[in-house]
Parts: sequence; C-alpha cells; structure tokens
Amino acid sequence: MAESDGSGDADGDAALRVNAIVSLLVDKGLVDMEALDGIVQAYETKIGPHNGAKVVARAWSDPDYKNRLLENSNAAIAELGFAGAQGENMVVVENTPEVHNLVVCTLCSCYPWPVLGLPPTWYKSPPYRARVVRDPRGVLREFGVELEEHVKVQVWDSNSEIRFMVLPEQPSGTEGMNEADLAALVSRDSMIGTAKVIVPE
Amino acid sequence: MNGIHDCGGMDGLGPIDREIDEPVFHNDWERKMFGVFILTIVGGLFNDDEFRQSRERLEPVKYLQFSYYRQWLLAVQRLLVEKDVLSMEEIEERMKDLAKEDG
Amino acid sequence: MSALSREEALRLVGTGATTRVDDPASGPQYAVGDRVVTRNPNPPTHTRLPRYVRCKTGTIHKVHGVFALPDSNAVGAGRNEQGCYSVRFDSEELWGPQGQVGDCLFIDMWDDYLDPA
Repeated sequence: MAESDGSGDADGDAALRVNAIVSLLVDKGLVDMEALDGIVQAYETKIGPHNGAKVVARAWSDPDYKNRLLENSNAAIAELGFAGAQGENMVVVENTPEVHNLVVCTLCSCYPWPVLGLPPTWYKSPPYRARVVRDPRGVLREFGVELEEHVKVQVWDSNSEIRFMVLPEQPSGTEGMNEADLAALVSRDSMIGTAKVIVPE
Repeated sequence: MNGIHDCGGMDGLGPIDREIDEPVFHNDWERKMFGVFILTIVGGLFNDDEFRQSRERLEPVKYLQFSYYRQWLLAVQRLLVEKDVLSMEEIEERMKDLAKEDG
Repeated sequence: MSALSREEALRLVGTGATTRVDDPASGPQYAVGDRVVTRNPNPPTHTRLPRYVRCKTGTIHKVHGVFALPDSNAVGAGRNEQGCYSVRFDSEELWGPQGQVGDCLFIDMWDDYLDPA
C-alpha cells in the first residue's frame, strides 16, 4: 500500500517520481536512507528560527555581543553554536527607530538556514519576491506593519552566498527580561523583516 | 537567463499567500525531496549554481504554478539525467513498478 | 560519489561549504564608497544580475571578499573567483518616479558585473 503523503492531485506524479528517484539512487549505492532521515530530522526539529531568536535575545541583552554580531556576524553567531549550510557568510542588519530592513531573494529562495531553518513558502514564491523590492512598504502593510513616516526602508536582495538576518528592534518595556523570555518574543518574520517584535497583551 | 525566475519588480503576480503555521514539510514526498537534494549536492553530484540554473530552465507556466518542492524535483531530475547518473527510462520504469506495488 | 553516512551527511551540513577565498592572489577591484554602474549582461545561461538592477548606478557599501562567479560556476566554466560586494541603490534609481525617496536596496555584485561610474 502506498505511504500516505497527502499530496493530492495538485502535485501530479511528484510523490511517485521522488520515490522512484530515491529508490534508484539507493539501489546504486548513492544514497543511504538513514542519512536521508537524519537530514530531514535535523531540519524539521533542530534547525529553526528558535536559533535566530537566541541570537537576537543575546544581542538585546549584551551590547558587546551586539557590536560583535554587527561587526562579524559569522563569528558571533558561531559563538552560540549555530553554523553550517546556507549560513557560511552571514550579515546581520539592524532595525532602528530610523531604519527598517527586509530580506528577500528575488531570483530563487536563498535564506539563512542555520539561524532561521527552512523558509516559508511565501518567502520563496514570486508574489513576495517580485513586490518587496519594488514596494516594500506595501508588502509591510500586507503583513500588518505600518511604519512611521520618517522611517527609511532598506531591502536586501540575497543573490550571492551572503545570507542576511534582521536584528529587530527590542520592544520597549522588555529591558531587564532574561534571555530565554526575550527569545520567546522573537518571531521568524521579525528576523526576515516582515514583522516587528511585539509584546503580547 | 532572462527567465520567469528573474521576477524582481514584476507586477500583477497577486497577493502574498501565507499559510498559517506552515509545517517545514507538508508531506513525506517533500521530506524525501529535501533529503535527496541535500545528499546529492553535498555528495558533489552538482553544485548550487548548477542547481539554480536547472530550476531556472523550468517552463514559465510550471515555474509559476508548481509547488516549490515539485520544482526542485524537476530541477534535480534534469541534473541527474544530464550528468548520466540516472536515465529518464529507468526513472519512468521504476515509477511504473512502484505504482503497480501500490495496487 | 558513494552514499554519505548519516554522521558524514550531518557533519557536512553542519560545516557548510563556501567558495570564499580568504587569501586571494588578487583582491577585489572596488572599495567602499566607490560609485559603480552595473553592466547589461543578458546571457542565455545563469547570472545573478537581475534585470531590475542592470545599467543602474550605485555605491559600494561593503566588500564581502573574493568568491566564485555564479555565471561561470553554473556552466562548468570554472569558479572565476573575484571581488563580491554589497552595492547600495536608491529607490528612485531603480524605479524612477515610482521609487520612494529615502528608501534603498542592497544587492550583491561581482567585479564582472560592474564598471566605475
């Protein structure tokens, strides 16, 4: 009986084709299924935006760390134990009361995996990729973010090996909170730049 | 190439559709697709730039309509065939066999 | 290629891989603050210079270092390592009257994509 994959008709014969290719590669000794499962497990459970949230919380709590993070993002992120594929060349960009940053990859879907995990479908899809470079304020509005008039918007198009992460502004009233509690406030979208960090009521 | 993937600034592509609480993978075939992509690229069968180019060569209508991992599937399949790792014939043959097994 | 073990595969994704050259024989051609204008390549093959940013004038914001050029690395023509930069473009430069004064965009460029402005 076929494994249930919930793909339905929308994806045509994709499930069958993937299964065929994987089983052929296994037969030819090119792919090991335990390795495949290990990779899937790592990106499904271990590597995700909770990593980036820790980086943000540390930067909010420790001004020296924040300086290191902005000066040499790779080294500072590695201090917290995060590194690897699609994060070999990190640049962290800081949101301030005057400047709001957003990250995109117009040409495909480049994204800083070690700190944010795998990207959501909307980030990888043409509507976001096409519009955010041209009308970032309109995109922010669609995400429910209204910027004050004086704020300048900067968009970072990730077309090289460099991967960007936004350091969102620390919301007022959270000074003195411990790092774990701060990290819990930091959403994935705030590290892409399509959200601000808010304190829930 | 001046393909559909080069969409920065393009108008009319519609609203940004966001799935609430989207899971990392929607189903098992997406998991397998991600896993086999990582193993073949890290194993050195192709590089990032070759992969991106393969994806860029997908017909525009398919690029705009097919789900993300389905695009990856076709991109990786093309690379494996062009690099003589697998043939389309054996892929189709295996698909027939697997479909028969599923009953 | 032979199958990677689970341990080996996880080790490799944990380390990653980059084409960055830390001690290049020849360095990047441009420096921070340089005014540059992007070229107009329209290759039938892979490039990372999108149409919306061709023939535009910007300023070098940061020198990332020396990296492979994707255009050649995608077609088996070698890594062709060269300077890679973050370049800043004003919104009006990219979008004309539809640009937003004060806003800007940063995108990466390689030596082969640029001329001095």
